[in-house]
Amino acid sequence: MKTVYRTILFTLISVILIAISAAVVHAYTAPVPASAVRAEGVTQPLTDSPEPEKDTCIQCHVDGSFTNIWTPFLRWITFGAAGAALLFGVARSASVWNTRTAWVPIPKRITSWLDDRYQLSEILEPILSKPVPDWQRRWYYCLGGLTFFLFLVQGATGIMLAFYYKPTPAEAYASIQFIENEVMLGSAVRMIHHWSANGMIVMACAHMLRVFIMGAYKPPRELNWVSGVLLLVMTLAFGFTGYLLPWDQRAYWATTVGTEIAGSIPVIGQLAFIFLRAGWNITSLTLTRFFGLHVLILPLITLGTMLAHFLMVRKQGIMKPL
Amino acid sequence: MSEQKHEESVPFYPDHLALEAKVALGVGILVVIIGIIGLFIPVGVGAPADPMDTPAHIKPEWYFLSLYQLLRFIPKTLGATAPVVAVLLIMVWPFLDRKPDQTTKTRQIRFWFSLVAVIIIIALTIWGEVS
Repeated sequence: MKTVYRTILFTLISVILIAISAAVVHAYTAPVPASAVRAEGVTQPLTDSPEPEKDTCIQCHVDGSFTNIWTPFLRWITFGAAGAALLFGVARSASVWNTRTAWVPIPKRITSWLDDRYQLSEILEPILSKPVPDWQRRWYYCLGGLTFFLFLVQGATGIMLAFYYKPTPAEAYASIQFIENEVMLGSAVRMIHHWSANGMIVMACAHMLRVFIMGAYKPPRELNWVSGVLLLVMTLAFGFTGYLLPWDQRAYWATTVGTEIAGSIPVIGQLAFIFLRAGWNITSLTLTRFFGLHVLILPLITLGTMLAHFLMVRKQGIMKPL
Repeated sequence: MSEQKHEESVPFYPDHLALEAKVALGVGILVVIIGIIGLFIPVGVGAPADPMDTPAHIKPEWYFLSLYQLLRFIPKTLGATAPVVAVLLIMVWPFLDRKPDQTTKTRQIRFWFSLVAVIIIIALTIWGEVS
């Protein structure tokens, strides 16, 4: 039991030390404390302390431009990490001292804890230990995987853009300008979204050509090919719907012409035309419709089709060329 | 498959996963570089949309440009129907071409067919871009 008390004591001492050092650094580096803030209507105190400056930029505390590097956020991260490292060291030393056995790494503890309960290794073992033949380790077999990787990039950057984008004709253009000029790293994220979209189409086409040339679409892999073509159509639909969203001249007129061409298909054209434009003209309804398709409907359909596509590849394996 | 056990192979984990992680890391670095370029040269937006003002040259994105260029030479109905029919044909292709490859000859035929198709599409795209 003695060692348990010693562990607790060490832990307490380290926590107190960290708290004291954090308080000292805070006292020296923090901006003027807000304790001088006075409620309205309360009479001014006699001291002639200056009026506290109104904090105009909340975000600056986070990004570090307010009080240089020692913002509260960074301070928390630094001292938190240092404290966690120290606590971990204390706990690990005490454990080894107590049990007289080698330290079991934390990831291993977590996995064995989960494995005891859910037998995950039974599921993962056949997947992870599956041999990959050398003929599959060629560059042209990674085109489909790269398409999926770029899809993930599109998802991540698309979500970031959706935080700032406003799908109305009055505000769409201005919100794009806001993303480009005001939002931190906004232009970088939009650039990635733009080029990764182009890259995704190139990769999807390259993947399809590879499958076609090698004849990997032949039985028993027909449905995989069908789902792949659906995914390519979906990718192009992503491009078409996303193109209208900036609501600039190029976008507006390209969509005008594009929906007109869709409208000239016999039999289903008129229906497609009305469905795409949500009426006879391109209005705010068209914009919200394209936005909804772009950020909700298409991603969901694509994810579902992708899942089927991957499961079929998993089940049937890659076709071995002659 | 029993015959696969005899050929040279590596375990999926960790060997093959490491290779895939390296590829993903490489593309990820490329993506970050593109983002850094975007900080200095943003994608940008054109003039705001104006339904009253039709611009002289309307061009779609490059992946629709070849179809758009095609529309200049063939009737509009045909040009709009052709891609739909083409996609449907591509989709049902595995049900039409069912015979397994006996020789590499069929693969070569598909390769040259794809090459010609890609060259035609690229040519139409470049033509549409410069015109």
